[in-house]
Amino acid sequence: MSAAPRVVGHSLPRLDAPGKVTGSAVYAADFALPGMLYGKVFRSAEPHARLARLDTSRAAGLPGVRAVISASDVPDVRYGAAVKDEPVFASDVVRYVGQPVAAVAAVTLEAAEAALAAIEAVYEPLPPVLDLAAALAPGAPLIHPEWRSYTANPILQRDGNVCNRARIVVGDVERGWVEADRVFEHRFTTAMVHQGYTEPRAAVAAWDSSGQVTVWSNTQLPFDVQATLADILAIAPSKIRVIVPGVGGGFGGKLRIGVEHFAALLARKSGRPVKVLTTSEEELTAAYPRQGTVIELKTGVTREGRLTARQGRIYFDTGAFAGSGPGVASVATLVLAGPYRTPNLHLEGYAVYTNKTNCGSYRAPSGPQANFAVESQMDIIADALGIDPLELRLRNIVHEGDEGPTGQVLTAVGLEECLRRAAAAIGWRDRRPEPGRGKGLACGWWTTTGGSSGVYVKINPDGTVALNTGAVEIGTAALTGAAQVLAESLGVDLADITVVSGDTFATPFDFGAQGSRTAFAVGNACRAAAAELQRKLFALAAVQLGVSEEALALRDKHVVGPSGRVSLADLARQSQQAGGGMIAHGTFIAPGTAYDTKRVEGHVYPAFHSPSFHAHAVDLTVDEATGEVTIHKYVVAQDVGFALNPTYIEGQIEGGVAQGLGQTLSEEIVYRDGRVLNANLTDYKMPTSLDVPRIESILVEHPGGVGPFGAKGVGEPPNVEPPAAVANAIAAAGGGRITSLPITAEKIVLASRREAG
Amino acid sequence: MARIPIVLTINRERHEALVEPDRTLLDVLRTDLGLTGTKTNCLDAECGVCTVLVDGLAVNSCLYLAVVAQGRAITTIEGLAPAGEGPAPAGTLHPLQQAFVEHGAVQCGYCIPGMILSAKAYLDDHPRPSEAQVREALAGNLCRCTGYQKIVDAVLDAAGRMAGSVTS
Repeated sequence: MSAAPRVVGHSLPRLDAPGKVTGSAVYAADFALPGMLYGKVFRSAEPHARLARLDTSRAAGLPGVRAVISASDVPDVRYGAAVKDEPVFASDVVRYVGQPVAAVAAVTLEAAEAALAAIEAVYEPLPPVLDLAAALAPGAPLIHPEWRSYTANPILQRDGNVCNRARIVVGDVERGWVEADRVFEHRFTTAMVHQGYTEPRAAVAAWDSSGQVTVWSNTQLPFDVQATLADILAIAPSKIRVIVPGVGGGFGGKLRIGVEHFAALLARKSGRPVKVLTTSEEELTAAYPRQGTVIELKTGVTREGRLTARQGRIYFDTGAFAGSGPGVASVATLVLAGPYRTPNLHLEGYAVYTNKTNCGSYRAPSGPQANFAVESQMDIIADALGIDPLELRLRNIVHEGDEGPTGQVLTAVGLEECLRRAAAAIGWRDRRPEPGRGKGLACGWWTTTGGSSGVYVKINPDGTVALNTGAVEIGTAALTGAAQVLAESLGVDLADITVVSGDTFATPFDFGAQGSRTAFAVGNACRAAAAELQRKLFALAAVQLGVSEEALALRDKHVVGPSGRVSLADLARQSQQAGGGMIAHGTFIAPGTAYDTKRVEGHVYPAFHSPSFHAHAVDLTVDEATGEVTIHKYVVAQDVGFALNPTYIEGQIEGGVAQGLGQTLSEEIVYRDGRVLNANLTDYKMPTSLDVPRIESILVEHPGGVGPFGAKGVGEPPNVEPPAAVANAIAAAGGGRITSLPITAEKIVLASRREAG
Repeated sequence: MARIPIVLTINRERHEALVEPDRTLLDVLRTDLGLTGTKTNCLDAECGVCTVLVDGLAVNSCLYLAVVAQGRAITTIEGLAPAGEGPAPAGTLHPLQQAFVEHGAVQCGYCIPGMILSAKAYLDDHPRPSEAQVREALAGNLCRCTGYQKIVDAVLDAAGRMAGSVTS
């Protein structure tokens, strides 16, 4: 493409905006069918216990109740992403408060709730394992005594309560300690936090007389849910249609099967459509939150501030089932390395079972926790050596052509520009402008997840374009971005494109809305489809215009030749009459990223594909008396490769930072004795419009070689750095070095009292 | 529980329903009347996605009894455009809706109906608000996608448009 882009790179309004502002957009939670029943899940009241007796007979006899199911009514299967360890319903042992034990369907929600209250369960408590230390202690009770019998990804390194230990080893850290002038060792902890999507997880299921089930769900991964349902229902995937009407936020919390299987099983039993919608209490006790962690980090450094070695261990409290833990523990080791040149590394990530809810993936899984440790320690080191924290980073960051921790060659590295621009925007030279006020920064890197995407693209007889994709729009405007790529490639306007998405029967496969990949991968599939359409259009047009195909171009909704043109609408009509329609199938799979296989073990994510780089800077005041933190300004400089739609990338940055500030300052799922104490949205404190400062976004563009027009994944990165950036600013402001998330006012006050002696 | 016949005036249209006295306005809007533009989430007046206008005031319809809404003017997101005068012709947006679209204030969109109605209630009484006032007015509506910045910008922009028009 020679001319300046007409569609990509422009802040055009998203395609689905009108429906969302008028209330006509239908989300899964809105979906209803005639004759639909309401399903509810009966959940364990004990963190670890033998289920001695379960009596559902009284519930089944209540008015309006149409189905009651428990373990004996469903196939005896275990499912899971990396380890197949989770049953649909607990049968002999319950492993967390909130684990499903039975489910009911009734003609009204009230009748379903009454049925739940009539179910009787008798538990014989077993010793619970309530935190990482208890789970890892010698002789700790096993959460899964039968762990060896589970089907699991063979790469995983499992042992008892550890459902994976991922490791990166580079060089020899012992040599690195010798070469160091100073060695720093710290321990950090982070709390379990929830994604906080505003639409609860929802599913409606209905079976037809041929034995086919259709499930309307707000999942981020319809094809993954289809496959999991096939396991659970013991039927072929071709009998399972998953349709995603609309998704009210996901952030990773809606990746894996949520309530779809309960809806499908209850619908099969009752012969009626069934809807299941989670409550806030269920969300905060039995969903897929971000794992709490303990991180031990040891770093060697020369007097001049050059990193010589790093040893890191991050332990993920992944709950009663592996969930995303084994993969998250792997990704974490790449984050622990930091975006730094460090010759000797010994990094380990452990996913550990406990008697808590099954943890999952949350926007940049492992990123905020591991980055909090790495970037907090960089500031501690800088202070100890008397080097400016920005300068210490600049002396160690990776540059074009450097190796990543596992040997991948890094390209399109915009990190130095991000650091310098974020620092300049925050006014870094004046880092402690007044007592109680300080500035902090943090930097990092993140991946653009691979996986394949397919699209069908059709040119309609009126010249507009239908984009049919198996991907899901979860709110990021990623499919608007992909549509911009398509419009650019075909020479049409964004407004000419309509999107059909997320239907396992009607749309081609897509790896799903995860890992900052949708605009990237679907955009590339659109480019492939556009290239195929161009060949077909040119073949038709060349004949009509009497010129060779090489002389043609796509422009302004026409195929344009040297002395004439023909519209896409005309060509589409001709194709409909004689050629079955103007349609193409475009596909994309990200090329593998080469790395040194000898450096890793137990690792399911050994390299960051098309990595992005970023720096955050914050200016804040700490109230010495109350510990209250007031943020004056927050800056993000993010290397996005190429900004497909600047407005919505800013939106990702602003939203990611807001979520990150929640994790940093106020959010925590508080467990005591295996029970969540704050399972409501008053006590689980997410930021409001009064809590989030204005956020300045600086879009740095070092185009990558793979993404459309050089774009890199943008959705997850803004969530990575807020904890460290804020912790560093609090320390600079005199609020103490807080090594535990969330950084509550109480912790700040206690730290300042300790420092005051 | 005995059901009671009620008459609700929603978006200037008359609706009859037969409801239990403990049914919420949210439930009647969504389940009985199919007005699913009003969203459901916490059911405890904590998140604000169910916000509707009752006689011009923003209320959490999840804790507002349907029987209490009788005789009052209810506005849902479906009735906002063009200016709260019944269902809008396709393509017609209220200045708030238009500003939300143009500012990129919408991501997943699930909080947006409640957000727009909270903003409408506030702007009707405070036509020229400061940013701080807008943030205060929206503090009962949680949004997890946007960080609020573009929402606040959209409301401030809409305030200017509405103050300059006669239909606001």
